[in-house]
Amino acid sequence: MSRSSPTIPSLVISPENNGESSTQAQTKRRGRSSSLVSLQEVPADPQETLDQGALNNYNADWVNFKGAWLMHLVLVTLGKLLIDALPGMTQEISWTLVNCGYMAVTFLMFHHVKGVPFESNNGAWDELTFWEQIDGGAQYTPARKWLTCVPIGLFLISTHYTKFQSWLFAFNFVALLVTLTPKLPLVCSI
Amino acid sequence: MYNELEGIAHYLQQLPGSSIFIRYVKSSYQNDPWRSLLELLLFLFALRVWLSKRTRRDAEKGFVGLSSTEIDELVDDWQPEPLVPQAEIKQAPTIIGPPSIKPKVSQPGQPSDKARQVTNLVSYNFLGLLGDQRIKDAATKALRVYGVGSCGPPGFYGTMDVHIDLEKSIAQTLGTESAIIYSQGFATITSVIPTFAKRGDIIVADEGCSFAIRKGLQISRSTVRWYKHNDMNSLETVLDSINREAKRRKAPLTRKFICSEGIFQNDGSLANLKRIIELKKKYKYRLILEESYSFGVVGNTGRGMTELYDIPAKEVDILVGSMANTLGSAGGFCAGESVVVEHQRINSAAFIFSASLPPMLAVSANETLSILNSSSGPNIVHSLQTNIASFRSVLSTIDSIELASHALSPIQHVFFSQSKELQIISTSQKEKSSEEERVEAVLGDICDDALVNGVFITVAGHLRGQESDIGALSAGSTGIRVAPGGAPPPTEPRASIKIAISSALSKKETEKAALVVKNSINRVLKRRA
Repeated sequence: MSRSSPTIPSLVISPENNGESSTQAQTKRRGRSSSLVSLQEVPADPQETLDQGALNNYNADWVNFKGAWLMHLVLVTLGKLLIDALPGMTQEISWTLVNCGYMAVTFLMFHHVKGVPFESNNGAWDELTFWEQIDGGAQYTPARKWLTCVPIGLFLISTHYTKFQSWLFAFNFVALLVTLTPKLPLVCSI
Repeated sequence: MYNELEGIAHYLQQLPGSSIFIRYVKSSYQNDPWRSLLELLLFLFALRVWLSKRTRRDAEKGFVGLSSTEIDELVDDWQPEPLVPQAEIKQAPTIIGPPSIKPKVSQPGQPSDKARQVTNLVSYNFLGLLGDQRIKDAATKALRVYGVGSCGPPGFYGTMDVHIDLEKSIAQTLGTESAIIYSQGFATITSVIPTFAKRGDIIVADEGCSFAIRKGLQISRSTVRWYKHNDMNSLETVLDSINREAKRRKAPLTRKFICSEGIFQNDGSLANLKRIIELKKKYKYRLILEESYSFGVVGNTGRGMTELYDIPAKEVDILVGSMANTLGSAGGFCAGESVVVEHQRINSAAFIFSASLPPMLAVSANETLSILNSSSGPNIVHSLQTNIASFRSVLSTIDSIELASHALSPIQHVFFSQSKELQIISTSQKEKSSEEERVEAVLGDICDDALVNGVFITVAGHLRGQESDIGALSAGSTGIRVAPGGAPPPTEPRASIKIAISSALSKKETEKAALVVKNSINRVLKRRA
């Protein structure tokens, strides 16, 4: 939850300053274990990274809050009940609507809208979608896993209850692909 | 084998909820192997995601993980550099007693009782009011009433009647709706820029802007485009290119500012305010004008750039100045419309988080303003301009130097000419130092020689390595660092001797001091040749 401060004390070494060679030289001289030292490229705009780490990102941090996972299920169930309450609703249509609705809402929230709805960190998140903001860009975190698996699970359930009618299946499957593709780590931050 | 599978199936059936799962799998197949395969693949994908290992977050990339022993070792190894380089302090001449136009100055490395009286062309004593009796009296009176400090930030019982009086008289002097005072001159512009401009906003700035402005631009995180120093065509090209780019990218409308100094701290040149105002109106920009060196100095009655160009100060959206220079006090001010000022009272970091200006200093600044506004004001400004002119006329006869500063600027920079500079750099013994430092070493010799001959001058101080450290300035989402027709982010300022002319000297005294400087330049250059 506290993503503002990395728990491991760490040191920035920029590759341009020959940081690698000096670190290795020091390592050799001092006989430290070199397995811990690994170098990666410093991001292009250090100021942006600095600002992003300066304060909590209240826009994206809630995914790690208590009950956030349960809330997904609760909202989906509520939506299902609400749609079922409509007169003349069949299970097939209802499940398709729930699935497509969930995909549409999450696509809009997670992958379309950029930035933070309120003033935060001097606009450091302005260029990033919600999905890119989650956990400061780290991949395969518990929250990301959950948010990836929920639509897959929902799709499997809804195709099941639509009795595998080909048109509804196609609808649901396209909706799933549209929300799943931007979640892939490779597509992230494009 | 079969028995084993049977056993597993039996075991599965024992699990709670397994019947639902088995029913689901059974009814899913529906004689459609392709769809079933697809669903299986999706399930496997979800499983793969679930079992993948977490990667680093963006902020952690480029970090080197060190164990606590390694950290301890590094900490033990670390030798802190001295906060103040001892050697430089010893080399500097010292003013003994209060600074004035003729202070007692001890030579570098000499005891203070050997101090000699010299002409001071170092202090920003443009109006010659340093140590003026009227200001002293007013300050003493305020000291008896208010004590020394204001003991709090302005929004938190740090504001006193004298602060409000000073704000009013600054606004009145300039003819703006309102004004706000800050307690540090440097922090004023550094804080005002980020108050109005944020990430994504556009600032078009002169490449010759001072260190304080550069820091302000950096803190604001805005998209900064630079135009060539004092080149109005370059400014127009940059403004035009930004417009075209915004149209092409269908960029959202953002706040847009032009940022310039009135008289430039780094070279004493004068901005073409008239043209800047024209361009700002044409391209719908707001203007941030830094008047630290022009307020109180240019214009018939010293009201600054707006008076000089006969433009109402209201045309400048954000007019910032220092009270530490001409007004002989401390702190800075920002004048403009009342909305501009009120916005700063709750949004400007330096205003909110610093204790307000000591009342005594506010009174001193106000007293200077009232002297400037009195009938003697124009005379003081006029005699300053005469002194600048006579100083320049003496120095203009030397070939190997450049007087790049404007004829109205109270700070006159003495640069070596390009050819001389190159010669000095190539013949310098100091191979390890930067080009600027090599030139500064020779300029320092000139200053030392002038001090021996009774004129106190100094090399313009720069935080070498810091001022050019703005490469990280945001290029915004576009990634463009140099606009077409514009300039790249500024580098180190050129080395120069910065001479502060004062109206406290007579025309003859100024000429005499200029002659000393001239002789020192010639002597040092001759010695080197």
